[in-house]
Amino acid sequence: MSGGSASFRKVLQFRELPILVYLAVMIAVFSIAVGGFFSFKNFENISRQISTVGIVSIGMTLIILTGGIDLSVGAILSFAINIGGLGIVAGWPIWIAYPFMLVLGLVLGWLNGFLITRIAVPALIITLGTMNIYRGIIMVITKGRYITPIPKVYEAIGSGYIPFVFLAVILAVFIYVSLNTRFGRNLFAIGGGEQSAVYSGVPVRRYKMIVYTISGVLSALAGMILVGKSAFIQPQAGLGYEMSAIAAVVIGGTSIFGGSGSVLGTFLGSVLMGLILAGLTMLAVNPYWQGLITGVLIILAIALDTVRQLRH
Amino acid sequence: MRRTRTGNWRILLVLAAVNVLIMGLLTALSPTFLSYGNLSAVMLRMSELSMLAIAETIVLIAGGFDLTIGAVMALSATVFGTLYVQGLPFALIVALALASGVAVGALNAFLVVALRLQPFIVTLATMSIVRSVVYGLLKGNVLSDLPEGFLNLGYVYVLKIPLLFLVVLLVAVLAIVLLRRTVVGRRIFAVGGNERTAFLSGVHVDRTKYLVYSLSGLISAMAGLMYTARIRAVVPDMGITSPLEVITAVLIGGTAITGGKGSVLGSLLGILAMYLLLNGFNLLGLNPFWQTIILGTILIYVVGQENILRGVRAALHRAKIGRQA
Repeated sequence: MSGGSASFRKVLQFRELPILVYLAVMIAVFSIAVGGFFSFKNFENISRQISTVGIVSIGMTLIILTGGIDLSVGAILSFAINIGGLGIVAGWPIWIAYPFMLVLGLVLGWLNGFLITRIAVPALIITLGTMNIYRGIIMVITKGRYITPIPKVYEAIGSGYIPFVFLAVILAVFIYVSLNTRFGRNLFAIGGGEQSAVYSGVPVRRYKMIVYTISGVLSALAGMILVGKSAFIQPQAGLGYEMSAIAAVVIGGTSIFGGSGSVLGTFLGSVLMGLILAGLTMLAVNPYWQGLITGVLIILAIALDTVRQLRH
Repeated sequence: MRRTRTGNWRILLVLAAVNVLIMGLLTALSPTFLSYGNLSAVMLRMSELSMLAIAETIVLIAGGFDLTIGAVMALSATVFGTLYVQGLPFALIVALALASGVAVGALNAFLVVALRLQPFIVTLATMSIVRSVVYGLLKGNVLSDLPEGFLNLGYVYVLKIPLLFLVVLLVAVLAIVLLRRTVVGRRIFAVGGNERTAFLSGVHVDRTKYLVYSLSGLISAMAGLMYTARIRAVVPDMGITSPLEVITAVLIGGTAITGGKGSVLGSLLGILAMYLLLNGFNLLGLNPFWQTIILGTILIYVVGQENILRGVRAALHRAKIGRQA
């Protein structure tokens, strides 16, 4: 880290190289093997598919950079849209319902951050606990029932390119924030060594709280887009999102121990997983095998990260 | 080299008291709770998750982590079901089903030991792989063409106790003996407590890790066969939510996520509390999902106990000073 920000950024650029290679290979293989894979229509499809998990993954990246983890992202997503959904059914106008959902995400994310920083227990355990609590509350309040019908206005956010535009904007914002602001650079410092960060005057607690809060808001937003795409709300929404998001982050080259990684890498990780799913579906390969490829990619990614750390 | 167990005993006592309290409340509130039919149904239902909890406890004590337990359960059931349809001899398919679990465990250990990868992420990856293999083999179908004699094992009672629950007790006793009364058990605690120290004192750290992950695979595979016998079918999504449920119960039972500390008995008490709450809410006609809210809260409280109490005491102290001033 002694070479200043220019060489620091060069290392970061190198970090995405493996995933870019995977991506190029996958696109090449599928384009040759599948007619119509390299088409506008298909890429539009993929962009829609990856947008919700992609947005959640960006929040997860910030958390993992600080050395934390959040198992409750899927539960927060579901909480925001199910509790917000009660407002929708009650006839709230959209300009109240949407901010309400975002506030729910904000509050639950903040609560995660609060518990993690105050109780000083590993984030894995706290968010495992809050995941149970949030999911339980959803089921108790909705009694497991789907929420339908959702008025047409709520479908706008999930139609056409709009989900991907949201993802792209959030991506751009957080690439900028993570690389060019004091807050962003300090996230790397916290993950690199929390004690040293504290000693060098980084407000570790506050930054951690902010990171979990951002993740909560992004999860709620992803939920809103999910409602737009499916036009109904189910209590089990977002089930397994935590694992998909962690997979995207790790495949994207972010170290699970924190301190190194990138938001762009995570985005490329989500794109890669989306491409594989779409490609397998078009090849008429049973999509069930997607998990196998995802698993292998995760192992490759962390093996690479370990090699990289051993060299340093 | 006996370990001090005072801290451990306190958690076990508190947890046992919690279970007794729940049972007392349910006896008072519901006339059917204490009936033989209800209690034996609870024992039967908690069997598979209890097995998974034993498996997870052993891995956690050794400082590892295993997210594959639920997927391995499904894999062993799938191997059993698909091979039965092929007409292989019964003993062979049981052996192969159990072997599939050991194989996944050994693979996990290989990735953790040889490639020195972080267990949480490794087993996240292998969980995804194993689940994908299960889906691929079953092609989304439910298998119910299974040997009748085997399925009936789910409804065999010995001394009025479900056979499957007796299997849990047997495995639990074996696990406790292994952990507390053998050299191997001491090595498992040593590796989880401090890997470097264990290595320097001559413990085969790598071998110990291969052992715990393989054991976890074996016990989870047994759970898969038990689950199949109980629900009389092989279902693709079998055990998909188990890892996080089981880890919640195990951590409540006092096993440390950082390794070197924990008990099988605590984990089983955690699972018992989980199923008693579930049963209770069902009997009382309340929403059963109160259970996850309560468990999540207990988890955060149990693990953060010391810090929470210290915080509360400090706050009370400040309030007192404020009043005096």
